[in-house]
Amino acid sequence: MIKIVKRDQPSRAIFFFTPVLAIFLTLVAGGLIFFILGFKPFEALKFFFIIPIADKYGFSELLLKATPLCLIAIGLSFCFKSNNWNIGAEGQLTFGAIVSGGVALLFYEQEGFYILPIVILAGAIGGMLYASIPAILKTYFNTNEILVSLMLVYVSKLILDYLVVGPWSNPEGFNFPETRQFSDSAKLPLLFEGLRIHAGIFLALAAVVISWFVFYKTYLGFQMKVAGFSLKTAKYAGYKGKKMIILVFLISGACAGLAGVGEITGPIGQLHREISPDYGFTAIIVAFLGRLHPVGIIFASLVVAITYLGAETAQIFMQIPKYTGQVFQGMILFFLLASDYLLFFKIKFIGSKK
Amino acid sequence: MNTNLKISNVTKIYPGCVANDNVSLEFNSGKIYALLGENGAGKSTLVKILSGVIIPDEGKIYLNENKLELNSPLDAKKNDIGMVFQHFNLFETLSVFENLIIDSDEQREGLREKIDTIMKKYNFSIDLDIPILNLSAGQKQKVEIIRCLIRNPKVLIMDEPTSVLTEQETSELFLSLKKFSEEGILIIYITHKLKEVMQLCDEVAVMRRGKLVSVSEIKNENIESLAKKMVGQNLKTIKKKKAKTSSDQLIKIKNLNFTSEDPFETNLMDINFSVNRGECLGIAGISGNGQSELFQVLSGEIISEKNSIEFNDNYIGDLSPQERREYLMAFSPEDRLEQAAIPQMKIFENVALNNFKSSNFFNNGLINENKIKEHSKKIISDFNVNTDNIELKSQFLSGGNLQKLIIGRELITSPDLLICFNPTWGLDVGAINYIHETLIKINEQNKSIILISTDTDELLKLSDKISVIHKGKLSKIMNAEEVTSEKLGILMGGAN
Repeated sequence: MIKIVKRDQPSRAIFFFTPVLAIFLTLVAGGLIFFILGFKPFEALKFFFIIPIADKYGFSELLLKATPLCLIAIGLSFCFKSNNWNIGAEGQLTFGAIVSGGVALLFYEQEGFYILPIVILAGAIGGMLYASIPAILKTYFNTNEILVSLMLVYVSKLILDYLVVGPWSNPEGFNFPETRQFSDSAKLPLLFEGLRIHAGIFLALAAVVISWFVFYKTYLGFQMKVAGFSLKTAKYAGYKGKKMIILVFLISGACAGLAGVGEITGPIGQLHREISPDYGFTAIIVAFLGRLHPVGIIFASLVVAITYLGAETAQIFMQIPKYTGQVFQGMILFFLLASDYLLFFKIKFIGSKK
Repeated sequence: MNTNLKISNVTKIYPGCVANDNVSLEFNSGKIYALLGENGAGKSTLVKILSGVIIPDEGKIYLNENKLELNSPLDAKKNDIGMVFQHFNLFETLSVFENLIIDSDEQREGLREKIDTIMKKYNFSIDLDIPILNLSAGQKQKVEIIRCLIRNPKVLIMDEPTSVLTEQETSELFLSLKKFSEEGILIIYITHKLKEVMQLCDEVAVMRRGKLVSVSEIKNENIESLAKKMVGQNLKTIKKKKAKTSSDQLIKIKNLNFTSEDPFETNLMDINFSVNRGECLGIAGISGNGQSELFQVLSGEIISEKNSIEFNDNYIGDLSPQERREYLMAFSPEDRLEQAAIPQMKIFENVALNNFKSSNFFNNGLINENKIKEHSKKIISDFNVNTDNIELKSQFLSGGNLQKLIIGRELITSPDLLICFNPTWGLDVGAINYIHETLIKINEQNKSIILISTDTDELLKLSDKISVIHKGKLSKIMNAEEVTSEKLGILMGGAN
């Protein structure tokens, strides 16, 4: 007989085991889906998860996709750890890209070492500005940050749309919805000849190190931890709740904005309609899969990045729509939430007495 | 038809506390019964057992001689036991009608007629098609009552139904309840308000600390006798020595008001008091009368007007808890597990919650872990916390040890004033004695205490002066020697 028993305390081992279990279950369920669709499950999974990263180019693509996911997820973990539900990283990414793209366009005929830092800074500021809207509305008007940040995503996408077809569209661009190419000085340098991986990865790694330091070594990190466990305790301890809410939103917005910078000043080098395949939303999955821990987030971003690549490979070689990638991302989150049940309950097998 | 409900030897034990200790009671229809007791006396546990929310460890329940198996609220409904809880269980955005039919298995149209008949019969006038959120508290309660009546209950249990009602609504409710009783519905009325018991009920059962103290007819009782039964005789085991009263005023509260936006909170009205050095001011009251709000206003979790609180010749009404700590105030909130400490964090991390500039727990924004740990070790040894591992998560401490840690954390900086709220709630006798001794020691060191407590014995034991809070207002401040538990009980029940 199987019996479900409540745990006395959440198990630490299980805490790190459930993400692995979630990934495993996702693979099983994915294989099943492929089987139902009429593919050989193992071969399909191989196309999805192994072939895409089997060579140097594939590996560079993996890092390319993991970079924005990691960066955004690190930012989001500041919010999530302190009980602030910023769902609008996609919007902050877009707005950061708009601001930094605008600055890059100002310099489109110029070269100089000073341009790139300004462009990067502009992106961070853009993301911060955009994240400050839900933060200020939450602190001063008691609005729900989930709704506000989510709805602002669509606003930012429409602003981007307007800009690339309207005032900022390339005058020599035959009415394509895109801007001019940025000058080389406004682009993040590529790391290897022939590969698309660019210097943005250093921004992500820096964010990992800084966030680890803030979370575990600073007073701010301590306050976030307390607020994350109990807002009542944070109030009792006398922490400045409003200031903290705004601060974590700004950090989160800055990270998303930087991810936006990476997307447009990396290999693409211009603003266009589709700058992000929903990195901002997928990063939410990454943050939780990584257990809001900087190191966990690195691994999680790599795992989730594969689903992007796998979807493309599967589309090319198996004629499956690339949206299968989103199915996999959804399944990871679904199984993660489901297996979190094991944090608080354990399954006991009771031998039947005959 | 006669209804007879019998509770036979019911016992319910929670870790560290016996909520119901071998309780037996019998009720007959045609009468209104009061179940009277202080908070934590066990009355809620008992009615939750009757309504199937809690399953008792021992004991049986009989309805008209039939033994009931109450394993869920649904079982209670099936057995014609209806219950109206203190807090409404309604869907705010659904209409009244939708709320009424939501748990019914009868036909929609038939129900509408039935509801109309019920409303006509008892003179309820509520528009069935407007959303619940447009209703007043009294009307919402009527919706809850109608929801019970649809099922033709034999027993109707009301849990502190007047706590959210106005006077007018209260008298309307009483009329309805009397009518139900005449119709043959057995009514059990749970309250701690003595006046209401005298007004409404025919028989009264008093509970104290999980035990049934007495069952009697109302005509043989008066407010004083009931108050005495409810509060109990105070047992003075530790009595503090009468401190030499200084006239050195430490804190003065002047015309303090607080109006809450939350309907479940209590507004504070015109609070005035002062505490001298070396004195303990006790604030008695039944919980939910504004104690929690008063604590928060004093601790700075709720900011008030600057001049309303004067501490050591400084006006501090507009300061945050952390800023008030710098003026040497300390706070021990009621809720140990959700406010005063975080169970998932380690002991030394919980110590860092009380952060002074001079404690150097955090330098330049960085955590100074060694300093915090050193400090934590001192607290653990000075205040007898039963562990030597400061890396232990505080969820593994017993309630008493956790409270010692919290009080120790607040006291180790030797504050001039400690404000504590139910400091011994739910603790065992040993821990209670330790905390009491500690509090007496503070007074002996010429430091002051404001003790907000729902435990009258504790207040009589520790306080030099006592006041009672009722519906957000403080009674006049009395000298502890002149106060009896009887007198406190009357003031707590809102009578003069």
